[in-house]
Amino acid sequence: MLDGEPIIQVKGIVKDFPGVRALDNVSLDIRPGEVHVLMGENGAGKSTLAKILMGVITPDAGEIIYKGKSIQIRTPLEAQSYGIGGVHQEFMLVPWLNVAQNIFINREPKRWKGLPFIDHRRMHEESAKALAKFGISVDTRQPVKYLGTAVQQMIEICKVLTTGPKVLILDEPTAVLTEREVEKLFQYIKVLQSQGVAIIYISHRLAEIRRIGDRVTVLRDGKYVGTVPVREVTDDTLVQMMVGRNITQMYPRHRRASGPELLRVKGLCVKDGPQEVDLVVHEGEIVGLVGLVGAGRTELARAIFGIDRPVKGEITVKGKPVWPKSPQQMIRYGLGLLPEDRKRYGLALNMPVTKNVIMASLRRHFRFMIDSQKIEKLSNNYINELRIATPSAYRLVRYLSGGNQQKVVLAKWLDTESKLFIFDEPTRGIDVGAKVEVHALMDKLVQEGAGILMISSELPEVLGMSDRIYVMFRGRIIGHFRYDEADQEKIGALMLGIGVKEADAS
Amino acid sequence: MSVRLATKAIEEFGHHKRTLLAPILRLATLLALCLILTLLSENFLTWNNIINVLRQSTMLVVIGLGLTAVVLTAGIDLSVGGVLALVGCLTAQLLRSGVPIPLAMLIGIGVGAILGYFNGILVGIIGLPPFVATYGTKWIAEGLALILMQGQIIFGLPKAFRWIGAGYIWIIPAPIIITAVLALIFHILLSKTTIGYDIYALGTNREAAFYSGINVRAVSLLVYTLSGITAAIAGLLMTARLDAAEVGMGEPFLMQGMASVVMGGTSLMGGVGSIGGTIIGALILTLVVNGLNLLGISSLVHNIVTGGVILLAVFGDSVLRKYSE
Ligand SMILES: Nc1ncnc2c1ncn2[C@@H]1O[C@H](COP(=O)(O)OP(=O)(O)OP(=O)(O)O)[C@@H](O)[C@H]1O
Ligand SMILES: [Mg+2]
Repeated sequence: MLDGEPIIQVKGIVKDFPGVRALDNVSLDIRPGEVHVLMGENGAGKSTLAKILMGVITPDAGEIIYKGKSIQIRTPLEAQSYGIGGVHQEFMLVPWLNVAQNIFINREPKRWKGLPFIDHRRMHEESAKALAKFGISVDTRQPVKYLGTAVQQMIEICKVLTTGPKVLILDEPTAVLTEREVEKLFQYIKVLQSQGVAIIYISHRLAEIRRIGDRVTVLRDGKYVGTVPVREVTDDTLVQMMVGRNITQMYPRHRRASGPELLRVKGLCVKDGPQEVDLVVHEGEIVGLVGLVGAGRTELARAIFGIDRPVKGEITVKGKPVWPKSPQQMIRYGLGLLPEDRKRYGLALNMPVTKNVIMASLRRHFRFMIDSQKIEKLSNNYINELRIATPSAYRLVRYLSGGNQQKVVLAKWLDTESKLFIFDEPTRGIDVGAKVEVHALMDKLVQEGAGILMISSELPEVLGMSDRIYVMFRGRIIGHFRYDEADQEKIGALMLGIGVKEADAS
Repeated sequence: MSVRLATKAIEEFGHHKRTLLAPILRLATLLALCLILTLLSENFLTWNNIINVLRQSTMLVVIGLGLTAVVLTAGIDLSVGGVLALVGCLTAQLLRSGVPIPLAMLIGIGVGAILGYFNGILVGIIGLPPFVATYGTKWIAEGLALILMQGQIIFGLPKAFRWIGAGYIWIIPAPIIITAVLALIFHILLSKTTIGYDIYALGTNREAAFYSGINVRAVSLLVYTLSGITAAIAGLLMTARLDAAEVGMGEPFLMQGMASVVMGGTSLMGGVGSIGGTIIGALILTLVVNGLNLLGISSLVHNIVTGGVILLAVFGDSVLRKYSE
């Protein structure tokens, strides 16, 4: 299956952006029926290559060969005509259109051939059917903006799949999914593979690559490093290829005796969300919060941070009772929330790095007049410390790669010098090297007396970093472990609600 | 180190070349317009005419200041013409009935601020679409002016009051100086202060701003209040200059004010724009009318030409924006 004529080849692709060469003479070939993984650090050029194949951007030099013929892909429509389609790293859905409209955008089924009347019934039926394959049942008449990120992601995937692609490009598709959806997606990838579809799969997660990858190509700083069969390469070698050095420890955690209480939540209820939630975070602690999508983890974080109003319950920060009314108020109490959807809630994409870094801490530095040189200096500190790949502090954030954008959000919250952080998926879309850096940073923060409530869908990360772990299921906290009592099986089962008494589970 | 910084600066300039293109082109359009008018009419490049153009543009600039702040937050204020008229009429009435000049002016500006604040509540707190909310306020303001005036026109205002619209400081008309000072204040407010930062942040991504602890309601209240205040000041300047007030005096200024802002490169989507741009926009618009007058073209055609210029400018801007993507 792995041999045979490549369906698509790229040769000597070069792509320049002002100040950065995103791709520098990159060549590779993709064969039908293989899952070809693209790996590399943040900003290595993976998404750029994906976008070139999808016709979103055009290369400056190089050749694309499709079934032996040299072709040009100038628009997404042209890409589609060659059967190339994919899911971008960033959300591309139209928020106010409904699920079915998004899936069938621009190719709505017609009631009568050749006439512009949309067959709404068929559109909704087929959308529902496509989603059902992944075990997702949503009202296809809902605007997608009301749906969670995981469901939105599955909608994007269904949108491509219904075009029947021959080459499927998935740019970090699992970054916003939880295990259950990931499982479904992987099963489906196997099916597509057996039908001879070629899949280009971009991910930072080594475990996933082991499960579904056939060959892996590594890029570093826009340059081609090499292509190897997944089965013949060790994790260490892969990491070495990606970052050019060895990484000894994924979870550099120095656990210490925890200090006084920073946050206490008691009996917190949110309408249609978390119910009767109790939890505590102490100084010097990282507390993991796990659960499936829809379990209410993000809703809980939003309520504590004053975005959604809780209906009842008590919250105390450093012993002082607070009733959260707005993020502004909670930031004053020394709380920070790193939100899960960085593009929507975390960043002003059309502002430079400087203005994003300062967004939550502006008034800590300046009362009225702003000193932009001070902001520049400060931003450059974070750029160096977090190794944010950007040619300058004044680059608009929209031009940074996904992982580097995430680091900008991190910098923003670090600069508030909060004592208590809620990190919602802090390492989503971050490369291995940067992930270790973020972990080290979290460790440093708690060493210095901060407390962190960490929501994460990556169990190894939760197990590796947390002191204690809460498990959420359908809005309730149904499990609480010390890190040395917890393991993947126990927590995984609880997340699915296995072993929960029926009375609790409903 | 400094070499590295310098290369970085150059790289960044390369990156921003395209974004700098629009302002440069706008300035070039302004200069080209001046050049053409100088060639076409010997009366153009005279001290009197230049001062005249600047004075005419003051109304648009003053209205444009507050409007720019509103549009930067992705809002719009359709009530500026109504507020201008109401404040003009009210102040004239107060002055005629013997209220001291400073007090009358203060009341006028206060009324503008209150109407602006009202807009802010409708948009920022209740969450009405700005287009609808401020259109309602426009009708309220004009309605109040109608009741106040009962169909009459007021003339003959105190000389000291007329000075702000028609007087001189040395050889420069007072309204130009007043406008310049206001523009400078707004420029600094928007580009150098925490409040200005909040305005741009809100316009760029409202949710991210909210999540970052920016008081988005307060910012909405503020920008609409500012817009009410600048419209009110424009009303005072206008009344003083004409030495008269009547209900319909605000009519032309809404569209022209918006046009100045948009021609100045401020995006209706929010987050992009500047006071400098708005001033250039107002000058271009004023020059076009001035040129038509100098060339002796019937005022019947003015609206058509002005409309055409506005469309052309906005079209050019959107093309440029696509290009710099
Ligand atoms: N439109 C753009 N304008 C300017 N620079 C860009 C643009 N798109 C990407 N870049 C730059 O090109 C480089 C490669 O970006 P790319 O998005 O391909 O990285 P990536 O490998 O997908 O990283 P990540 O793992 O963070 O998603 C980065 O340095 C990025 O800043
Ligand atoms: Mg990417």
